[in-house]
Amino acid sequence: MKPSAVDAVIRGLKKAGVSIVCYLPDSLFKPLYPALDADPDIRTIRVTNEGEGAAICGGVFLSGKRAALVMENSGLRASVEPLARMGLGAGIPVVMLMSYRGEMGENNWWAIPHGITMEPVLNALRIPYRVVREEDEIERAITDAYDWSYASYYHSAVALGGSVVR
Amino acid sequence: MKRYDCMKALAARLKGELVILSLGASVDEWYNAAPHMREASLFQQQLGCVTPEAFGLAVGLPHRRIVSLDTDGGMMFNLGILATLGNEQPKNLFIVVWDNEMYQSIGGPPTHTAFGRVDIAAIARGAGIENAFTALTIEEFDEHCAKGLAAEVPYVVVAKVSGTVQPDIKRKHSDGREDKYIFVRHVEASEGITIMGPSEHN
Repeated sequence: MKPSAVDAVIRGLKKAGVSIVCYLPDSLFKPLYPALDADPDIRTIRVTNEGEGAAICGGVFLSGKRAALVMENSGLRASVEPLARMGLGAGIPVVMLMSYRGEMGENNWWAIPHGITMEPVLNALRIPYRVVREEDEIERAITDAYDWSYASYYHSAVALGGSVVR
Repeated sequence: MKRYDCMKALAARLKGELVILSLGASVDEWYNAAPHMREASLFQQQLGCVTPEAFGLAVGLPHRRIVSLDTDGGMMFNLGILATLGNEQPKNLFIVVWDNEMYQSIGGPPTHTAFGRVDIAAIARGAGIENAFTALTIEEFDEHCAKGLAAEVPYVVVAKVSGTVQPDIKRKHSDGREDKYIFVRHVEASEGITIMGPSEHN
């Protein structure tokens, strides 16, 4: 991930009003995590699994502040249970920013399941998403996700793929 | 020790706090035991989400005391949150774990804590939460409530309670969506903020 893409993500998060980020690190977003940690306007919380991060983000929503759940797309599967309970049960939204592991071009066998399951899982949960492969679309995709989630009070997701992360 | 008696003792200590609670029979018990906290309590049915959500709320409202009413089944579902709290050390989060050693709402099959080996307070201490205790009597529990509500570090009390449910209590009949709105409107009013505001074009 290029420094300019990292900057675009942080710019998008700030424009959307995000002040808290929960994350479980992955390799494609590797440069993003220290940049988030170093940003004085963003409180980062490292979690043990992405489902826990989703639930923390739900709690942040209830406080009136805005959070983001940053993760590899494999974390989506770990998050399904809390996402379903909070989103479908109560209308507590979580906005997710994921690296798109396992899309066409993937050369790691272990990452293939992440690509195969990401979109069907998002669709099963009725979560709208945008796959972004161009750096100049990152900022807008993030702010659009927050606009949608704060109109619907439901989850949304942005997956960064292609040359943005490789 | 009965959970309902513990709830009554805790409720008597609460005023301006915010509470997030777990699922099952404890929901109706809290609804009856703490009527003055109805709007300040988030009634959900979210196994494994309760303490993480309470922590998120505590991060967002660092000046406000947040109480998590979790359960043995709920905490065992997601033990990782204890490690996160051990590292993050929130100053305003008090966690109660109702440990009746059973999945009560489905008829009482045992949880992992029922066999005398698994100790949630010890796990919490091992995860870096220094103040994590087990209460066996109502007096012990009440004392931990006093300390936990005043602590400047995360504080966990595991209340070993019987598997009985308080008889003849009113059932709460609102769903999680309605309960969320009641809670959010209370947070908005008490904090002077807008969480779920108007659309751009109403």
